[in-house]
Amino acid sequence: MRLNPRLAQVPLSHWLAVGLVIALGLFPISLALIRLWAVTGISPLSALTMVQDQPGAMEALQFSLLEGLASTVLTVALGVPLAWAFGRYQWKNLQLKRALLFLPFVTPPIVAAVGFLALLSPDGFLHRLGFDLHAESGFMRFLSERSGWEEPGHFVALVVAHVWFNLSLMIRFVEPVVAQLDPAWEEQLALLPAGRSKQNRLQHLWIPVLGPATLVAATYTFFFSFTSFALVKWLAPSANTMESLLGEMGGTAGIAGYRVETSLAVLGIATLQMLLMLAMLVLAGRFERQHSQVLSMHHEVANRARHGRPPRPLTWFVNGTIVLLLAPLVSVVIASFRVTTRSGSGFSSSWTLEGWKRAWSGDLSTVPVLEALTNSLTYAGLAVLVALPLGYAVASCLVTLRLQGRKRLAGVLDSLCMLPLSMSAVMVGLGMVAGILRWFPDMFTFPYLPVLPHVMLVLPFVIRLMVPAIERIDPMFAEQASLLPLSSVAFWWHARGSFLLVPATMAASLCLAFSMGEFGATFLVVRVGSWDSLSILVDQVASRPKFDPYVFPTAMALATILMVSTLLVLSINERARAWRKRHDV
Amino acid sequence: MKRNLVMMLLVLAAPLSGCLEPIEPITADADGGCELLEPGRESDGVLRLLTYDIAAFSESMLGEFTNQTGYDIELIRTDDAGGILEQLLQTQQAQQADLAIGLDNTYLQTALNFCLLQPHTANVSGIATEALQPYDGPLAVPFDQGDVCLNYDETRVDGTNLTVPTSLWNLTEPAWVGQVAFPSPVTSSPGRAFMSATVDYFEHDDDETTNAFDWWRAMADNDAIFTTGWTEAYEIHYSGGYGEWVEGHLGDAAMTVSYCHSPGVEAFYGGNWTKSTSLTLPRASFHQVEYAGVINGAAEVTAANAFIEYLLSESVNRNMPENNLMKSVLNGATFPGTDGYAHHTDVPSLNAEISNERIADEMEDWIERWTEATQ
Repeated sequence: MRLNPRLAQVPLSHWLAVGLVIALGLFPISLALIRLWAVTGISPLSALTMVQDQPGAMEALQFSLLEGLASTVLTVALGVPLAWAFGRYQWKNLQLKRALLFLPFVTPPIVAAVGFLALLSPDGFLHRLGFDLHAESGFMRFLSERSGWEEPGHFVALVVAHVWFNLSLMIRFVEPVVAQLDPAWEEQLALLPAGRSKQNRLQHLWIPVLGPATLVAATYTFFFSFTSFALVKWLAPSANTMESLLGEMGGTAGIAGYRVETSLAVLGIATLQMLLMLAMLVLAGRFERQHSQVLSMHHEVANRARHGRPPRPLTWFVNGTIVLLLAPLVSVVIASFRVTTRSGSGFSSSWTLEGWKRAWSGDLSTVPVLEALTNSLTYAGLAVLVALPLGYAVASCLVTLRLQGRKRLAGVLDSLCMLPLSMSAVMVGLGMVAGILRWFPDMFTFPYLPVLPHVMLVLPFVIRLMVPAIERIDPMFAEQASLLPLSSVAFWWHARGSFLLVPATMAASLCLAFSMGEFGATFLVVRVGSWDSLSILVDQVASRPKFDPYVFPTAMALATILMVSTLLVLSINERARAWRKRHDV
Repeated sequence: MKRNLVMMLLVLAAPLSGCLEPIEPITADADGGCELLEPGRESDGVLRLLTYDIAAFSESMLGEFTNQTGYDIELIRTDDAGGILEQLLQTQQAQQADLAIGLDNTYLQTALNFCLLQPHTANVSGIATEALQPYDGPLAVPFDQGDVCLNYDETRVDGTNLTVPTSLWNLTEPAWVGQVAFPSPVTSSPGRAFMSATVDYFEHDDDETTNAFDWWRAMADNDAIFTTGWTEAYEIHYSGGYGEWVEGHLGDAAMTVSYCHSPGVEAFYGGNWTKSTSLTLPRASFHQVEYAGVINGAAEVTAANAFIEYLLSESVNRNMPENNLMKSVLNGATFPGTDGYAHHTDVPSLNAEISNERIADEMEDWIERWTEATQ
């Protein structure tokens, strides 16, 4: 592809955007490490060698590895057959089912957490299936008796929630491989001795073909489970991942002359966590390259038609999974209308609107829901306004550099721009607190501070959406536009801008949704200041002592509002995707 | 190209300029004296309260203050009392708030040592002696109080399965293996208060060869449950409280740290019924007082003083038990008799006697020793 001369150079503004994006990713966390170094007098590397002496650090590392591994194994065990079945056959309402399978991944973590809590309550669906956290009955009792593990409940609940959250990753990576696999491969293999039995076909076709995609999804599943925060905070409160430990201690870190041992612990744990996450991302990148090599492909619609309707057991399996995936979300809504009150030594449940009334009025001395929702939408809107043009400029710069043949430079800049992806949300929050607020205390009164971590977290997604969108634009449009007497703005619009409307809308809606549900970074920032977003409000209210029985329904009402708002924003994304499909742009 | 790269490097380097010098904190002189700092911001008629998630500050309560005085209020909420101290320390030379509300007597002296508060001029007559006992100086005013002590489930500590302890050492016996949940003093205010009480308790017991941290080590060896905050200990682990009808409850602990009036609150919301009660061994409880203080470097000092008076007014402070689940600091204040609130509230015969100054001087060391003992 050759670019029109008017688009062939990288303008200064795009270079500045690249610089700004790299600075955004690098500086807060670098400043945080420098601050912690200055306060403790110990370098990050030295702190790393002392990490085993920090209270709770080794337990957190062990727990993170254990729950990450268990979550990954279970996600693969359930996700691969699900993706295979979903990718192979002709399903009714395919788009809708795909959207529903994708839903958990974009659900705000705090909503998922309280949704699972509702499911685990004595009235809840999971409790009735035998998930009794006390291990006095059902599956938990069985597990407890067989394993000798006294309280497996919270751990199992956390792993189940992680599987729920990450199944969509399996669908996202594995389903397209199954759906687009050239059927000739399977047919030809069936004629050979090595492909006569199911086991042989599994060994010689499916494992080699699906392996790389599964490994990519498994690595990301491990990554997200390892850095889990909101779900651990609520479902396994007696344990800590390294992420939740940092979330607990991060607010205290970086103050000169006060609780220096906490600053030292945060420095060591943050350094270790960063190194581990970087290693995981490098691994995921390697698997992703292998994955892209095996994508030989065939038309999906024809493939599905060839295999026809799914067999009944698979229909039950896929549809049943979708119902289970929706269960925590439905539970949130139901729990917002239920209250459990005590009468003497017993307790009873009844229907109520009190939770909604309190959520609306902010009766529990929190901000009213409208104010929190306005804050959330403001932060999300500003994050989009900043991230979209910056993301476009970076993507345009990367595409131009590649077309100029400077692929190595483009690769280096691309990696640097993706740096926030190698940091968890709490690490980004730590960058804000110890990196920005500790150095610049005046920022405590800056009302839009949470926008900064949100921009950092969503920018990589914008860039990832924009790069292929720019690459897809036919250079002929630029050639034709250049023949017309157009101003530079009009030329840009006709050659490029008008083709990016749909991807930009999709990027904007995804950013809005991620920003509205963002919890880890804001949690840490809010620990030291007052920036109440809706997801933080849910956490604040749910954390209140529940002597008053209406506290929990109020938290659930707030969670319902957050969930519905996020889904409305995401529906814009689905509409844009459908429009693009219809118009083939 | 080179020019562009230079520009990019300049953008990358800009945020680092001028921020590599750590801000050194201001501390009180040997006599405890502090200089009055310049306001950290311009006065704008808005009173900014730095507080944690205090349940007593409803919209209507704050609105009433605005109606009475004409000052608008803006809340800056942190996570807890520790969060208030941390933000005060961090913004010491450019304070953004005017009034700190919620520092307790385990944090107050540290705030005073760092010159974070200035003398108030509010009329605060009518405060009970017990509330003024930990601190009665001009820099902070008590606004609520409560005794932190062990709570236990009467249905489990029934004299048959478990007997009511007569000494904290009883809790290290085999019968109590895994039965006690403690919020960590590192991350929880009640946890910090109770740990301070144990220091005093074991300094006054008959055994001079052991101290509080020997007991904490023995508790850890006896599989005591340690949690991050009060909520996890009380709601998830404690079987005697409201937690048993809350999602995620385990109920594996028959005893935990809470307030001596927590059983009263349980009864108040539970139709005059509770199975929780307090263990009020002498010196094994801690009288916690929460304070309001005008911030050194505040811009709205007059409004801050007016708010202190409002907070201590009869109409606001007498309602602390219902609104903030803590006791009022006014003379003659009691817990309400409604639904067994007062009836189920226990009053310790002797709280731990440990000065604020000692807490400030030794807390870091205690936390280090506690961590070492319980790891």
